Amino acid sequence: MSAAVSNFPIIAIITFFLGAFLIALIGRLNKVLRNVLVFISVTVPLVLMCLLIKPVMTDGQIVAYWMGNWAPVSDWAIGIGIEVDALGLFFGLIVTLAAFVSALYSFTYMNRDDSLENYYTLFLMLSGALLGLTQSGDLFNIFVMIEIMTMTIVALTAFRVDYDGALEGGLKYMVVGSIGSTCLLVGIAMTYRQLHTLNLAQIASKLPGNMNAVTIAAFAFLLVGFITKASLFPFHPIEADAQTVAPASISLMISGVITKCGVYGLIRVCYNLFQNIDAPSVEILITGFGALSCFICVTMAFNQHNFKRLLAFHSISQVGYVIAAAGLGTALGLNAGLYHAMNHLLFKGLLFLCAGAVEYAAGTLDLDRLGGLSKKMPKTCALFLIGAASISGLPPFNGFASKWLIYQASFEKGVSSGNFYFVVICVICLISSVLTLASFVKVSQSVFFGQLNPEFEDTKEVPAAMRIPMWILAVLCIVTGLFPNQVMKYVTGPAANAAINVGTYIDTMLGQNTAAEYGIASQATTEIGKIGIWSPVSWLLLLLIITCAVCLVSVIEDPKKTTEEERFEYNKSKGRIAKFSRDGFKAAGKELPEAENAPAEEYDKPGHHRNPVLSGSTMTFTGERDPKYEVFFSGEMPEYSQVGGSDLFWGFKHSWRRYFSYWRKWHSGIVNDYVLYGVAALAFVLLYAVLFV
Amino acid sequence: MQVLLVAFHILVFPGLLFEILMGILLLGTCNKLVARMQNRVGPPIIQPWYDFLKCCGKETIVPRAANRNIYLGIPYVGLGIILSTALFIPFAGMKLVFGQSDLIVILYLLTFVSVCMIIGAAASSSPWAGVGLSREMVAMISYELPFVFVILAVAREAGRGTEAGMTFSLADIVAYQQTNGSFFLHPALIPAWIAMLFVIPCEIGMHPFDVAEAETEICEGTLAEYSGKPLAAFKLTHCVKLFVMTSLFAAMFCGGINTGIPVLNVLIVILICFAVMFVSMALPHGACARFKTEQVFRFYWTFVSGIALVGLILVWCGF
Amino acid sequence: MFQNLIDKSMKKSPWLFHINAGSCNGCDIELVSVLTPRYDAERFGFHLTGTPRQADIVVVSGPITMQSRDRLIRTLAQVPEPKCVVSLGSCPRSGNVFKGSFAIDGPLEKYTHVDVSIGGCTPKPEAIVAGLAKAASILEEKRKAMRKGGIEAVRKMEAEAEKPDAETSGSTADAPAGEKAVKEAK
Repeated sequence: MSAAVSNFPIIAIITFFLGAFLIALIGRLNKVLRNVLVFISVTVPLVLMCLLIKPVMTDGQIVAYWMGNWAPVSDWAIGIGIEVDALGLFFGLIVTLAAFVSALYSFTYMNRDDSLENYYTLFLMLSGALLGLTQSGDLFNIFVMIEIMTMTIVALTAFRVDYDGALEGGLKYMVVGSIGSTCLLVGIAMTYRQLHTLNLAQIASKLPGNMNAVTIAAFAFLLVGFITKASLFPFHPIEADAQTVAPASISLMISGVITKCGVYGLIRVCYNLFQNIDAPSVEILITGFGALSCFICVTMAFNQHNFKRLLAFHSISQVGYVIAAAGLGTALGLNAGLYHAMNHLLFKGLLFLCAGAVEYAAGTLDLDRLGGLSKKMPKTCALFLIGAASISGLPPFNGFASKWLIYQASFEKGVSSGNFYFVVICVICLISSVLTLASFVKVSQSVFFGQLNPEFEDTKEVPAAMRIPMWILAVLCIVTGLFPNQVMKYVTGPAANAAINVGTYIDTMLGQNTAAEYGIASQATTEIGKIGIWSPVSWLLLLLIITCAVCLVSVIEDPKKTTEEERFEYNKSKGRIAKFSRDGFKAAGKELPEAENAPAEEYDKPGHHRNPVLSGSTMTFTGERDPKYEVFFSGEMPEYSQVGGSDLFWGFKHSWRRYFSYWRKWHSGIVNDYVLYGVAALAFVLLYAVLFV
Repeated sequence: MQVLLVAFHILVFPGLLFEILMGILLLGTCNKLVARMQNRVGPPIIQPWYDFLKCCGKETIVPRAANRNIYLGIPYVGLGIILSTALFIPFAGMKLVFGQSDLIVILYLLTFVSVCMIIGAAASSSPWAGVGLSREMVAMISYELPFVFVILAVAREAGRGTEAGMTFSLADIVAYQQTNGSFFLHPALIPAWIAMLFVIPCEIGMHPFDVAEAETEICEGTLAEYSGKPLAAFKLTHCVKLFVMTSLFAAMFCGGINTGIPVLNVLIVILICFAVMFVSMALPHGACARFKTEQVFRFYWTFVSGIALVGLILVWCGF
Repeated sequence: MFQNLIDKSMKKSPWLFHINAGSCNGCDIELVSVLTPRYDAERFGFHLTGTPRQADIVVVSGPITMQSRDRLIRTLAQVPEPKCVVSLGSCPRSGNVFKGSFAIDGPLEKYTHVDVSIGGCTPKPEAIVAGLAKAASILEEKRKAMRKGGIEAVRKMEAEAEKPDAETSGSTADAPAGEKAVKEAK
């Protein structure tokens, strides 16, 4: 390990914070200077993280760095350590990529807001905190970073104070999030009391041999803390509220990264610190939380009327998938979970940016009012379709690959453990997938397709500067979907192995053979099976061949078609355009029915004001466009009639009305209730941990 | 030579041409059988072929409000996907272009085909199509649950003896049946194939479950605005889907058939396809009027899912 | 070759769309009876569609009331070419017993070219099947004309058929029969 490389993580973290302070100082002076500063401070960490890929992911090294060179003294870690293994780097990459894309998008998206220097200061602090969290080798440092993250995200959620519910969303996030922070602090304190250390590697080496009632309680507290940060089931309403009101670029950070930090914490705690993920009781608890959030949130998303709120519920649902897979405790499961975590950032980020683009262009996110925007914003629509296909798991996009792995992993776990519970998890995941598809059908019908609301007639496509970050995510969605085996081999595989091989983690930090002293066996790198059964590239080739064959057959010369204009010209040349009005009807050579001789104002009444005109072999009307190219309306005059938003999926919603009305009451919007649910969850986990773990 | 053989497999047998031919014959026979059940003469067996050709020869009208590119393009994408899906299903134990195939992939590809129809309907911007796509989606949610149970039951049974204890690979499922006998006769899997017989007509959108394309109530629903060649593509997709589902049934439950003579195997599988079509499509078509949307949903999530769950539990307990 | 196949199949798969332009429902019932086991028009490939976009033959019944006129015109315009218009019963051509009413705005020819008219009040199912079969063969000819000369050729064909002494195909001018029926009714 070269000395330069070991400095990369700390430089990356410092760059974010330094950028934040510089912008706070000079961001007010010049807009261009500010944007350049922001760009530099998000690009440098991304580059540094990418430079780490080779040594850490490919060569399997672990970057260790002691702050101020306070190395361990007689095997006791006294300084603050930064330790980046493949798992940390994986999440670090997620953070830096999200920050990069989000900042790039903000330059245009946020240009209608003021006091942007505050926004970017907070944004960079948030990114720095998130990166620090994933790179840190110290439990208390993780807590500090989480606190910075919570404070900045509360401020950013409420950044657009004029938004309806922005302050409320921020407040709820702060209050309920503080339960999680408190739990974490209590858990850390209990661990520290037991082991007298805060270094992750040292805890990992000492803890498994020292399990007692206090450490089990600490486990429960840490678990609930990270579940709050991942916004799993009983904590999800705050997440939904926050993501709805936050600017889209921040919603991306909340859904793509902050929830991932909860996931990261859970994986660290269960796989590394306590190493009790193999215990069936822990597996059942964690996958249960995952599957429950997965299903409840996907059904909740069904009933939303706000684009971003719908996406917010889906975020939690997808994080539920991640947790359900990671909680299986198998290498394949963890791999699937990490793969899905990465994919979730890509497709959900893309979808949030699309939502932001719609908001930017049309000024609203109301699913009951929008519609038909695909004609006005075709490029955004294409990007949205990529995102929607990915999240619904349609092959060959990335969501399919990771979901496939999740099904495989959970069913395999069920079979190998003989526990039907995991089969239920598998079924819940499969059903949630089709429900996800349903709600994205709802979004595409009520935002991009269907009929265009006349209010949005002059909507314009968003500027290219906003579409570039979206394209980055979209291309990544396609690439990670097309090459699942490579992704597993080079990205998620090493990360999963790093999480499982805790011995190496301890040894790197505390010196050789420390792990062996504490009886922690260094596991061999597990080779995770390929998705050999599914090769998207060859399928795509096949699809291409077949579609070409179909097209060859279908390209038969068409009979000469007439366009609307030609039809009109033709009829005009034949003298067949004639008004059946009171003075001009004779031109058609036909008699005017007496009823047409009504007074002039009668023509303006519905049903009378349209004068039939001969056109082609059949007639059309003057005063309205050629009905041939109108939507079929059972012969009525076309009018705005959009089937979208809450009109969809009637049969399903009807059958589930009791379920929906129950959950509707449950999401009361009152912060006291949400705190109560949080405390109840804490009590449940504590009780469960004491009884079963 | 190898390339030519692959091209033959993709384009002629059991690929493109064979799929289309089988699809048309299956749908035509189904219509004929229904007509005979109602004491009618019925249309000729190749009527779907005439319908397809006729639609090819009609003018294609794109409504002014529709999203032109998606509206015209998506039917061909759907057709391409369903035609490629058929190549994933082992036909009469033949060596395919893809030696490996997977039930989950097939499940999602079939979903993709329906999604193509939904997106096409949405792009046409007709309110009728809006209602139709909503119903199509509900039908999809309906059959997905029993279908998942059936897939898991088959995957568990076929995976006995393997290291993981389960396999989603269709090739493995067929191989297992070749040595241990078809699942059709396996007592634990009887509920599973009964449920599968119910899943097939809803997946295809055949008569009692064709809530999405109800002619009289919602003006052909998803297809309300389609005319000309895109419509022809959708009609052909429907036919090929019929073949895909019946041959999937044959592969999942009758994969053990092996007489040693390839031609005879192919003929037997074709016969099975027709038998499945008769039982799961023609009979309910002739006997039932169209269901309401919520009836479809309730029927599949209670009755059919119940049967399929019983099948899964029987397999799980190792009967 | 493919084009010839398409021409031929035009005749074999004509889909119907039925417009009730104020009919008394008699003709509508008879049209439905054509699809029942007794007459089974489906054996010729006839099939009732729910949308004009998929129709080849538009069957219009009723005397074109003022209320239905605009709807009729719009729906007729939405049928893709080549198409045939069939008037069912005496009402669309002559107004039948409704003739002279302030509420009707017929006849159908005023709005569109009528290819086949099936007279009678109501026509017998046999007559309807015969008329529809005739419409199907006109459809094939229209398709052939359209392939060669585009939509103008179809218009020309229709114009020729409209001439009073035309010997060409199409237009079995059954309106007189309808008139007779009216007189009888009166």
